[in-house]
Amino acid sequence: MTGAPLPLFSSSVKLKYVKRGYQHLVDNFVTFLSIPVMVAVGLELARRGPQEIVGLWRALELDVIHILCSVFVIVFVATVYLMSRPRPVYLVDYACYKPPSNCRVPFSAFMEHTRLINSDEKSVQFQMRILERSGLGEETCLPPANHYIPPRPTMEASRAEAQLVIFSAIDDLIRKTGLKPKDIDILVVNCSLFSPTPSLSAMIINKYKLRSNIRSFNLSGMGCSAGLISIDLARDLLQVHPGSNALVISTEIITPNYYAGNQRSMLLPNCLFRMGAAAILLSNRRRDARRAKYRLVHVVRTHKGADDRAYRCVYEEEDAEGHTGISLSKDLMAIAGEALKSNITTIGPLVLPMSEQLLFFFSLVARKLINPKRKPYIPDFKQAFEHFCIHAGGRAVIDELQKNLELSAEHVEASRMTLHRFGNTSSSSLWYELNYIESKGRMRRGDRVWQIGFGSGFKCNSAVWKCLRTVKTPVDGPWSDCIHRYPVHIPEVVKL
Amino acid sequence: MGVNSDAAAVYGHKLSTVVPGSVSGETVVHELADMDLVMKLHYVRTVYYFQQSETVDGLTIVDLKKPMFRWLTSYYPVTGRIRRTEAGRPLVKCNDCGVRIVEANCCRTLEEWLQVPHSARWRPLVPDKVLGPDLRFSPMVYVQFTKFQCGGMAIGYSWSHVLGDPVAGTNCINLWGQLLAGNPPPKSLLPHSARTPTARPARQPPVSATPLSVKQVEPAGDLWLIADACKMATDSITITESRLKHLQSEKLNSVPAFEMISALFWHCLASVRRGGREPRVVTICRHKPRAKKCAELSNEQMISTVSTSHASPADLDLAELALLVSKQKVDETTLVEESIDGDGGKPDFVVYGANLTFVDMEGVDLSGLDIKGEKPVQVDSVIDGVGDEGAVLVFPQGADAGGGSKGPAAVLILPEDQILKLREVLKREFDMA
Repeated sequence: MTGAPLPLFSSSVKLKYVKRGYQHLVDNFVTFLSIPVMVAVGLELARRGPQEIVGLWRALELDVIHILCSVFVIVFVATVYLMSRPRPVYLVDYACYKPPSNCRVPFSAFMEHTRLINSDEKSVQFQMRILERSGLGEETCLPPANHYIPPRPTMEASRAEAQLVIFSAIDDLIRKTGLKPKDIDILVVNCSLFSPTPSLSAMIINKYKLRSNIRSFNLSGMGCSAGLISIDLARDLLQVHPGSNALVISTEIITPNYYAGNQRSMLLPNCLFRMGAAAILLSNRRRDARRAKYRLVHVVRTHKGADDRAYRCVYEEEDAEGHTGISLSKDLMAIAGEALKSNITTIGPLVLPMSEQLLFFFSLVARKLINPKRKPYIPDFKQAFEHFCIHAGGRAVIDELQKNLELSAEHVEASRMTLHRFGNTSSSSLWYELNYIESKGRMRRGDRVWQIGFGSGFKCNSAVWKCLRTVKTPVDGPWSDCIHRYPVHIPEVVKL
Repeated sequence: MGVNSDAAAVYGHKLSTVVPGSVSGETVVHELADMDLVMKLHYVRTVYYFQQSETVDGLTIVDLKKPMFRWLTSYYPVTGRIRRTEAGRPLVKCNDCGVRIVEANCCRTLEEWLQVPHSARWRPLVPDKVLGPDLRFSPMVYVQFTKFQCGGMAIGYSWSHVLGDPVAGTNCINLWGQLLAGNPPPKSLLPHSARTPTARPARQPPVSATPLSVKQVEPAGDLWLIADACKMATDSITITESRLKHLQSEKLNSVPAFEMISALFWHCLASVRRGGREPRVVTICRHKPRAKKCAELSNEQMISTVSTSHASPADLDLAELALLVSKQKVDETTLVEESIDGDGGKPDFVVYGANLTFVDMEGVDLSGLDIKGEKPVQVDSVIDGVGDEGAVLVFPQGADAGGGSKGPAAVLILPEDQILKLREVLKREFDMA
């Protein structure tokens, strides 16, 4: 019996109830402990009677000075405690860009363009195979410049795309929240691959006539996980500046980044990346607490760049013919898995209930001391979160995470459907997924959301949000006209 | 100015694609009828010329493309691509692959360009592509926007005959014009109902009668182009109302205009070709009337032949010939349809140009395309892929859509030398320029 592995036991129904009981016991341990203590104290008090208690009080011989000092100390400690707590950061609302149907790229059109632009038959076939298995649908969109044969990535076209997606998202957000542009205190923009001068944040300040003492930041080159990095930056700034709000823009501009060469490792982004943008309004003002949708609980950032393999796994370079592209290495999935494990190790203690943490600890001890070959215990994150938003980087990423975290199909549905409807919109994909969950009417007050982003570097970033008010359907957003069609079944291979 | 320099005057071509705004569906297929397959080696090329004006100047390519997404949602089969069934019969897979858009510039002004002879005028302004060699990735419809030096614009429209006859083709582009003007699509417009595959009985070609109106050609395979066709030139001759009345009254006024004009050109071409291959048999093509607002895509032609038994048409009186054409047509439409094998869609036929062909372009609404109310000053409309015997397209109202009706126009598609000789004959015998 010593070598019997745990999974065999867990298949029995009885064990499920034992586990439930264990979870309730450990999670509410303090409550269970305090009840007998309170009962005992209550009994003791009742036994002693009121006169004895008054006598005890008199015996302490407290006078006014003592009382005042004690009160002062208590008040002082309480104030220090309250002041040192981090300011709550609220997500008032957010808006995602909905690409118009005239930017649509059906599979057949994409393949035809590829054949006309690309002379190498093998790379055309390769791209066809990627597209068939990609999990994308027929409604994903590319910017107008990419509808040309060959694409015409001028600076003007890139700026036009940036203005189109960003200003649409911001206009939407302003309409939803009643935000006044002059009221914005902090502006953070992240766009990895397009970084003009003046920056995109300057473009926004110019268009909306924002204040001259605005604190603006433009993050570029930080990959698909930059959305959560921007949130992290905004949160830190909101700790320093009281009574402020922050506008965070996450986007990726596709126009300048078409890869015109034939190297296979660089062809994936062409097939998967699509237009998208999100605008998010964060605030630490108390009055926004009433109307905010979410509160930011944790942001955990993990950077594996110290490892050479991780650093080079998503690498922008020129191929043999001089075309610039982003090369994805073959061990991308493995590195993503490792980065996720690191991130989980940090975030686990912050979010998991005590029962899961204890189990994980015991399993760790068992692996270290007793049997190294024992399967590691994967904490059940479904205990900690109701909703999961996994960056829709590609079908493989979502499959990998579903397997690693042991999530059900419904948990990853938001990610899969976002990939199908909008493609890989890079850093803004997490917000499209969140909007999907809201549009389906699944977001209730008190629900916790885990957003996981992956990106070049290699980085794995997580954000945890708590829902403050139930989101009523129908939700105004990019899913509003098509949510009734979802979820769709996405076949393994789509025949073109 | 040689032909080469005319073509070279158009430069800066940019290709892009426009797809339908909504997803057509997973496995939507547009079946090709037998008549569609008969016509598959022909293409309709039309060029609309618009003068410079504020409206035309103010239109960017984005404005021109914007209504196309709604347009193609109604006409989604034109954005599909050809596939073959297992038996080899072509059909259209409605996969939203799109129509090809070409943007170009011309270093001449519109006025200068309209001076160029007909044959060389329209070719550089409309893509002269055919279906194939890769059928799976060949667009069936092309639209080219050419900007002239003066600000005028030409819209070149290439339509594959396999999708539908010229009536359907012009109805299609006219809808785009209406949507561009900001009109909502007419409520009476039926959304195209994709034909579902019907069980087609395998037919053996009738042993007895082979149609005279069409010519079977070598299998075109995957390149739908007439093999070794001699180079065809085109020309347009307007027959003034007065001249037409004169001809009709002189001979017989019960003969309608189309038959009269067909007889006229038959007679003249016969005398041009005297001694060589005289056109004893001609093919007459007419379009069945269809509800104008319908988005139906089909080839609704009535194909018939007229033959002169012994005499050469050049010797016959014009009146006799006209009577022959109007009264003694032999309808071969059904015969032609039955020649196509149900399963394989074989063999491949040439219709226009198998014999000297006269096409009645009544119902082809060339003036129906306008740019926000601006009508074209000139329209050139020809059929490409015409066989050696040539064809004459008879437009009831002159192709000069603007500036008053001048009378019917005949667009000739013939070898170049024959056109010159024909003009001489017309001048000599009928005093027509």
